[in-house]
Amino acid sequence: MKLIITIVTCFLFVAITYSQGKYLTKSGAISFYSKATMEDISADNNQVLSIIDTDNSKMAISILMKSFLFEKALMQEHFNENYVESDKYPKATFKGEILNFDTVNDMVSKKQVKGFLTIHGVSKEITIDANMTKKENSILVTGDFMISLEDFNVKIPAVVAKNIAKKIKVTFNLNHQFYKK
Amino acid sequence: MKVKKIILVILILGIVGAIIGYKTYNKPHLNIVATKADFNVSANKIIEDFSTDETTANSKYLEKIIAIKGIISDIKIEKEKGIITLKTNDDFASILCHLSEEATNKMSDLKVGESITIKGICTGYLMDVILVKSEF
Repeated sequence: MKLIITIVTCFLFVAITYSQGKYLTKSGAISFYSKATMEDISADNNQVLSIIDTDNSKMAISILMKSFLFEKALMQEHFNENYVESDKYPKATFKGEILNFDTVNDMVSKKQVKGFLTIHGVSKEITIDANMTKKENSILVTGDFMISLEDFNVKIPAVVAKNIAKKIKVTFNLNHQFYKK
Repeated sequence: MKVKKIILVILILGIVGAIIGYKTYNKPHLNIVATKADFNVSANKIIEDFSTDETTANSKYLEKIIAIKGIISDIKIEKEKGIITLKTNDDFASILCHLSEEATNKMSDLKVGESITIKGICTGYLMDVILVKSEF
């Protein structure tokens, strides 16, 4: 009897530890949307690098500003050259912790991620609501949040103030896969 | 008579201005297929450049059209867009080429292990060097 319990416990332990570790995606999607009087602008980035470490519930996201693709070439040019100055600040990052990560399971649940978002050289502490689902070999994180351009020192000239919203909606869809070395 | 002339000139300037404005606003994206690559490099060389000095590599390669020669280590489709991975000497770093729609359509001929040259716009280096709007 003892032996059986030991064996079962061992198996359980293996089953639990199996999926512990790092989950990663190199092709996560982040897009943003600006709704203003004159025009609506959106851009998509499908090369988002995101890592979740289940051992300490930490999450790290890294994105290239130049990977945001716009419908119009001119918008993309203005975005890179004038607004986010992507030559000077080529990356945006987020480093944070998933709160109550141990309760994430195979059903979609709302969790909070708290950490520092760095865009345009400015770091700001934020808490983001995200929907999380953890399957055997994957963790899906989706959701959206608003950011204010002012917070990240992105200046919009008065001439185009009617074309660009002061608050931008950011949408994310990150499907992390278990990362085996 | 003079007033009429002035009005006419203003009108013409206005129309020209409007056309230029419209053209600038609708400026097309760079045509990757028709444009010659700014750099021709091997997968190993570009990874080496980025991993040794990212800042210098950024100013050299970013937003440029790069043709990268390498060996395919992975082929996949995500959200209807093809992604080809080229392997390098570094086990953890590769070249991630996100294909254009046209290139995705003719991707079925490619095989893992094949040597290929892929041309695309370099957007930078995360764990891997990333090319977007890639063609082959």
